Formats: sequence, C-alpha cells, structure tokens
Amino acid sequence: MVYLRSEEHLRRWLDERGFELGATLEAPTMNELARAWWRSRLDPGWLPRSADESQAILAGLGLTGDFWALS
Amino acid sequence: MDAFELDVRRHVYFSVVANGGPPTTRETAEAFGLPEPDIVDAYRRLHDAHALVLFPDTTEIWMANPFCFAPTPHRVTAGGRTWTGTCCWDALGIPSALHTDGEIATECACCGDPLRLVVRDGELADGADTLCHILVPARRWWEDIGFT
Repeated sequence: MVYLRSEEHLRRWLDERGFELGATLEAPTMNELARAWWRSRLDPGWLPRSADESQAILAGLGLTGDFWALS
Repeated sequence: MDAFELDVRRHVYFSVVANGGPPTTRETAEAFGLPEPDIVDAYRRLHDAHALVLFPDTTEIWMANPFCFAPTPHRVTAGGRTWTGTCCWDALGIPSALHTDGEIATECACCGDPLRLVVRDGELADGADTLCHILVPARRWWEDIGFT
C-alpha cells in the first residue's frame, strides 16, 4: 500500500513494475479508513474485531465488492 | 485470544508507546515474572492471530500495527516521537491510534519525490491530493503482510 502523487505517477508505477491496478483511494478517504480501523488499537480493553466487524468498516466507506472482501 | 495473550499484547503496545519500540521476549518475561518460553509461545500465538507480526523465523516483533519496526518510506511524527508506518494505511493510522495530530513524511512510490501529509483533529489538513494505492485484494493481505 503506497502513496503516489498523481494518477499519472500511479499509471507509470504500475507499468514500470508490471503490476495490475488494484484499488486507489484519495488520501482523505484513506485517513477516514485509518481512523475507523486503528483508533481503538491502544485502548486498554481492546479486543480483536470479528471479520464481519472489519468488513462493516470497509463497507461504511463504500469499499465493497470482491477486491474488499476479507474472506 | 485468551486473557493471557491479551495481557501480553497490551504490554507490547504500551511498551511501544512508552519506549518507541517493542519489548523483547526476555523483557516481557521479566515484566510478567514468567519463564521466557511462555512469552515466546504467546508472541507466536499473537502472530498467528494477526495481533502482532514477527520477523520471519524469529520472535522479534516486526509490526504492532500500525507501528512498524523495520525501515519503510513512511515516517510519522506524532505524540512527541517519530514512528515508522508499514504502509500508507498504517502511516495514517498512527496519529489515529495515538489520538493526536501527526505529520507523515513519505515519498511517491513512482518517482521518490517527497510527499507530506498532515493530520489535525482527525482530519487530513495537508496532502489531500495524494493517492493511496492497494495492489493486493483484501482476502490475500495476510499471505504477505509486508507486500499489500
């Protein structure tokens, strides 16, 4: 999972390495995902999330479909 | 994940925040007053449960996500320290996990040009035009968590 400065740089990076396009998020969306995913990680009472709970976080940001299926 | 494993995991994360890095199995064994093999087993079980990531064939902690303990291009200044994020998702996760503002100094994967993102009050205050790309579909992330 990498940062890229533009769509042009993304296309060039994929081409140069022979990678297929995966999923691209704008940084504000990735920040929302990071907040939802990681904000409880240091809570003293942290418990592991179920796969369904993790899937719901992704779906809440519109990240649905086969690429985003955790299982 | 049983209560002991959760205790060990909590100790690891609190040590990371307090010291800037993860404890060794010996340090954790001393903290718990237990034989080191008990902690080695706990680290391995936490690794298998994806609650920690160990360097291959070791009991040394590679990631306590979103914190990473190997070099990457993603340096995150937050909470009075500079941390390393495994990837673009984890780098943004460090200010979130610490519940604080943060600045990510990173680079474009294509050209290596420096990029800067700033998180303030939970929102992205700078770097909003940056793109984040995920190559590997979600169900395969744990096949190689170092390459996603």
